Amino acid sequence: MVFFLHDQRFIPAHGQAAVLLDLAADQAIDSNVLLRHTGLFREQIVQGEAQLSSHDFLQLIHNSRRSLADPELSFRYGQRLFPGHYGAASTLLANAGNLAQALQVFCDFGVLIQPLAGARLSLSEQHLCLQWLDCAGSGPHWRFIVEAAMTGVASVTRWLSGERLPWQFLFRHDCPDYPEQYQVHLSGPLHFASQIDAMLLPLEYLERPWPNHSATARQAALQQCQQEIASLPGTLSLRHGLYLHLLEHIHQPPSLQESAEWLECSPATLKRRLKGFSSHYQQLLDEARLHQAVHWLAFHGLGPDQVCARLNFTDSTNFRRSFKRWSGQTPAMCHRQLLRFAQR
Amino acid sequence: MKQRLSLHRGSLIALLVMANLVVLANLASGDLKTVSELVWLDIAGEGGAALLALLWIGLILNSRPTGRVTRLLVTGLSTLFLAYWQDLMDEFIQLPSAVMWDHWLESGAMPLGMLLLTLGIYHWHREQQAISAQLQKRERVFREHRSLDGLTPLSGPRYLREQLAMELLKQDQPLSLVMLDLHCFDHSRRLLGPHDSDRLLREVAEVLLLNLRQQDLLCRYAGDRFAVVLPRTGRQEAESLTRELEQAVRHFAFKTQRGITHPVAIMAGLAVAHDEDADSLIERANRNLHSPSRVA
Repeated sequence: MVFFLHDQRFIPAHGQAAVLLDLAADQAIDSNVLLRHTGLFREQIVQGEAQLSSHDFLQLIHNSRRSLADPELSFRYGQRLFPGHYGAASTLLANAGNLAQALQVFCDFGVLIQPLAGARLSLSEQHLCLQWLDCAGSGPHWRFIVEAAMTGVASVTRWLSGERLPWQFLFRHDCPDYPEQYQVHLSGPLHFASQIDAMLLPLEYLERPWPNHSATARQAALQQCQQEIASLPGTLSLRHGLYLHLLEHIHQPPSLQESAEWLECSPATLKRRLKGFSSHYQQLLDEARLHQAVHWLAFHGLGPDQVCARLNFTDSTNFRRSFKRWSGQTPAMCHRQLLRFAQR
Repeated sequence: MKQRLSLHRGSLIALLVMANLVVLANLASGDLKTVSELVWLDIAGEGGAALLALLWIGLILNSRPTGRVTRLLVTGLSTLFLAYWQDLMDEFIQLPSAVMWDHWLESGAMPLGMLLLTLGIYHWHREQQAISAQLQKRERVFREHRSLDGLTPLSGPRYLREQLAMELLKQDQPLSLVMLDLHCFDHSRRLLGPHDSDRLLREVAEVLLLNLRQQDLLCRYAGDRFAVVLPRTGRQEAESLTRELEQAVRHFAFKTQRGITHPVAIMAGLAVAHDEDADSLIERANRNLHSPSRVA
């Protein structure tokens, strides 16, 4: 498997980054200030040649938040993000025939449409759950990225489907001191201090047909996206790739040594590369186990004992202690959330 | 920032020329002091005062358009600066006692500068009164520039909460809050594009302002939602004011950049305060906005 590193430049700067630059330009912010420490110049971007690494993109977000200290920024950015002008990926999204096809763009071609946040779709009996995962190790900027991503998906699915979809929104962070932005821009039930960053929707919306799409254009765009993604240095960031690998083998997670072998590098190299994403192996493993446990407890209705067995914990006390360390809550509390979502 | 300063290029050049003339006149008629004759404390004090005067000129020029008030302020400060500047020159250059113009420049310019500055500040005060009268419906009782909204010339949600909290203290008076939400703005934004939709928000804000009373306050809550605080207003009066706002916006014919009319409609949610805090009042008004039995 080949994954890209935090400083590998391949994200076209005239894509999602340009949306942020345009937004700032509308509010009279000098683009040179925004591009500080990214190694880019406005002229290069306009010519369509400039490329960013995920690290540069985070720097750009950092600069924008410094120059425009307005909590509305991420939401306004999100509203403009999709379907966007990102070539084949945008065409693919704009011609989605239903929600499943639209979300497929985010899950399969995430690096083309939203390089900093990975989407993971999982279905339970009642809900679909679109979880957002940190691909770039964005630290303090994750909240900005997740606000933008959720606003963007809620807005574009509403636009393409022609109806307001009753999304529910889960955030890992506590309710910030600007709740009004969430209320107005997301306009659905909000659950702060949840274990995951995710959007929930009743399952019946997944296959409901959408108006105004071209199946032929979609097919062609799908081919193009596959070609585009093959020419990139990787389809996923190393952080995200390793996370998914751990998630896939969550019953018997590979050790750091085994993961390094799978990635064909030494453990020291893997550690160093993860450090570039401000991450380390144990953190990713804990994340993967917590997320999977939450999925089972809160969406699939499994009891704490079943989850404990599936995660290969020797005894339930041990599992409860670990779960509490990852999330600050007990598995039983998390299990009860299921009812909260279902009541809506 | 650069644009503001370039408006005043003339004033800046004049100041520079005057400062140079003072230096030249001093050099022409006096002799340089030796290093042992210099009094460093005086140099620091007078030089510092001159520098501060210069800084004030810079700040004022940078924050104000050209005009009478600006001219007065800058002329006053420039005169002050020249007085301090001459004072500073005295520390370096010994003028013969026959020369009198340096005393005039030092002691005459100072009160003149003060007088001009006072006049400028007085007119600035008058100007501010005029501006405040215009701002009245957007800002009440006290000013907080940090809570201004980035997109519209209104205050944001923080100011709204502060004002509501203040009004709620007056328990003997009824207080109403109306939330106004543009109908299908998500759709409009995609149709109109970012520039026109931002302008639409600003213009709707103007329409709403025109239809409010002197004591009312309009804030931008978030996105396309506005909040109107109606002090000393009971339910009946608030309902009729809300109807007027809805009608005013319905009759507003917004023009896109291409000159095409884009119709606008708003939904309203009203809440009348009784024994609660600002957050719960806001929450109730927001809830009424979504419920079908809203005030029409």
